[in-house]
Amino acid sequence: MAENDHTPEQIRTWLVDRVAHYLDRPGTEIDPDTPLAEYGLDSVYTFALCGEIEDTLGLRVEPTLLWDVDTLNALIPHLAGMVAERSGR
Amino acid sequence: MLSGPLLDNALGDAARIAELDATAAFPAEQCAALDAAGLPAYYVPPEWGGKLDDHEVLLRLWRDVARRDLSTIVAHGKTYLGTACVWLAGSEDQASAVAKAVLGGVPAAWALSEPGHGADLLNGSLTATESADGWRLTGAKWPINNATRADLLTVLARTGTAGSARGQSLFLVDKSTLAPGTWQHRRKAATHGIRGVDISGIAFDGARADLLGAQGTGVETVLRALQLTRTMCGGLSLGAGEHALRLTGRFVSTRVIQRKPLIDRAQPRSVLARCAGLLAAAEAAALVGARSIHGLTGEMSVASAIVKSVVPALTDLVIADLTELLGARSYLTDVYEYGAFQKLARDHQIVSVFDGSTPVNRSALAQQFPRLARAYAAETVDGSGLAEAVDIGVRPSELDRGELVLASRNGCSVVQSLPGVVAALSEPELTAMARSLLAITAKVVGLMAEVRPAARPAMAAYELAAAYELCYVGAACLHLWTAENDVWLRVALHAVLTRLTAVLRMPAPEPVDHDPLAELVADAAMTGGAITPFGAGDSRGH
Repeated sequence: MAENDHTPEQIRTWLVDRVAHYLDRPGTEIDPDTPLAEYGLDSVYTFALCGEIEDTLGLRVEPTLLWDVDTLNALIPHLAGMVAERSGR
Repeated sequence: MLSGPLLDNALGDAARIAELDATAAFPAEQCAALDAAGLPAYYVPPEWGGKLDDHEVLLRLWRDVARRDLSTIVAHGKTYLGTACVWLAGSEDQASAVAKAVLGGVPAAWALSEPGHGADLLNGSLTATESADGWRLTGAKWPINNATRADLLTVLARTGTAGSARGQSLFLVDKSTLAPGTWQHRRKAATHGIRGVDISGIAFDGARADLLGAQGTGVETVLRALQLTRTMCGGLSLGAGEHALRLTGRFVSTRVIQRKPLIDRAQPRSVLARCAGLLAAAEAAALVGARSIHGLTGEMSVASAIVKSVVPALTDLVIADLTELLGARSYLTDVYEYGAFQKLARDHQIVSVFDGSTPVNRSALAQQFPRLARAYAAETVDGSGLAEAVDIGVRPSELDRGELVLASRNGCSVVQSLPGVVAALSEPELTAMARSLLAITAKVVGLMAEVRPAARPAMAAYELAAAYELCYVGAACLHLWTAENDVWLRVALHAVLTRLTAVLRMPAPEPVDHDPLAELVADAAMTGGAITPFGAGDSRGH
C-alpha cells in the first residue's frame, strides 16, 4: 500500500489481506464481525500485526489495541480515524 | 550499598547447604540471613522506600548468592517476582502496603501456573467473581514457588472470556486476612533440583482478593512484569555457572595425575577456557540486558526473551562441558566440596524452565521477527539508550515503568548497532571474528524476514530465534570489549561463533589461543579472584 492510500476502503483491503495471511486462509472466509482471536490464533499474533500497522500506516499502536478493538469492522474505522486525526482532516 | 561478598558470606558453609539439599529442607536460615543483610530492599522501588533503582545491581546480588547456593536465591528471589506486578499496576495504597511487608521480610509468591494449563496464561481456570463485598477467588494454582511460605500472593484469575487477552485480571491476596475454609495449601512437590525450595500450590474456595490494576489487564501486566523478571533470571544462571567454573578450576589446578596437574594438559586447559569464554559471553548478555531495563526500556520485549532463553542455555552448556573435566566428582554427592557440583547442576536445570521456558521465550521473539528484520535493515539504533545499556557499573537513569511495552518499536539496538561496532575495530583477529558475526547476523535476520508470523511458529522460527539470541550475545561482547578484558572476550566471541555456526550448520570459526584465559581462570579459581570480566572476587571460594 502506497503512502497516500489510507482511505478506509484501502485500509480494509490491506488489513483483510494481512489477517488472511496470518490465518493462512482466504480473506473471503473472514467474517468482519467475529473477534479475530476466535479464528484460532492466540492473541500474540497481534504483535506482528501491530508492527505492520505501524510500518504501513505510520501509526503508533500497541498490541493491546488489537485486544480491545478486536473485529475487522471495529478496527478499520478506528485506524481510519487515527489516520485522519494525524492528517488533521 | 549491600555488596555481593557480604551476601554470599551470609549463607554459611557448604556442608550445611549440602545437608539441607540431602533432606529437601527449606534453606530457612540462609533466607533469614539474606533478610537480615537487607536484600529485600532491593526488590522494592525507591518511591516506596526500597533500593530497586539499578537492575544491574540486583542482577549482581542474585548472582553472588547463586554462586554459593542457587536454591536459596530461587527461594528468596521469588518475592521480587511475586511483587513485580504490584509496582506496575497496583494503587498507591496497595504498593505502599506491599512495600512495607516486603521490607519487613514478608515473602511473596506469583501464582500464574495451573494444573493442566502450565504456561498458557490466557486459559487459566481459576476464576474471580465480584460480589457486593468485593472479589472472590475459586480454583487452584500449582506448581508455585513460595505458595506455602508466602503471606502475599499476586494471582492471575479469569474474569472474562477464556482464551481472550482481556479475559484475565490480577489479584492481590493476603493470606493473613482470609477466612478459614476459603483456602488451603497444596502439598510441596518433590523435585530433582532446588529440592528444599517451597514448590507447592494453593487452592481457593471463595477466598477474598483485591483487584490489582483494572479488570482485564492481567495478562498485559504479567507480560510487562516478565520483561523485568525474565531478565533478572540471568543472574541465577551466572551464579550457577561461576560456581561450576570455580569448583572445576580448583579441581584441574590441584588434581595430579601421573605427576602432572590436569591444568598442564592441553584438553583440560582448552575446555576450561572455552567454558570461561561462554560464561563471559553469558555475563555480557545478562549485564547489557539488565541495564537495558533503564536505557532501552521500550526494547525489553526483545531483550528479556533473549536473556531468559540464552543465558540459561549457555550456562547449561558450561555445566555440561565442565562435567567432563570433573569426571566422577561431578556426580558423587558426598566428596569434593560436599558434592556441590552435582547439586548446582540439578538446581540449574529448572532455570531454563521457570518464569517462561526457552520455547515460550523463543516464540515471543519469533512474534517480533518482522519488526526485528525491518529495524535491522534500517540500522535503527537508540544511541543514547544503547550507550547507557553498555556502560557497565555506572548508575543508570530511573526506570520509567510506563515505557515497558508489549512489543518493541525499535527492534533491538544491541544487534542493530553491530555494523557500526564492527567498523570501529582494528585488531586483526578480533575484527575477523566480528566480521563473521556481522555476516552471520545479516544472514539470520534475512531468514527471519521470511518467517510468517503465527501464534504457533514453524520449527525453523525457533532455530532462527536461537541464532538471533547468539547474535545478541556476540554483539554484547563486542560492545563491552576493552583491551583489559580482551583475554576473556576474545574467547567469548569465539565460543559464541562456534555455537552460532553449529546452530546454523555452518563451518566452525578458525581456532583462537585458549591458553591465556585458561591460566587466568585457573589462577582466579585458586586465589578467589574475579572469574569473569565483570565478576566479583570470592574470598571464601578457595
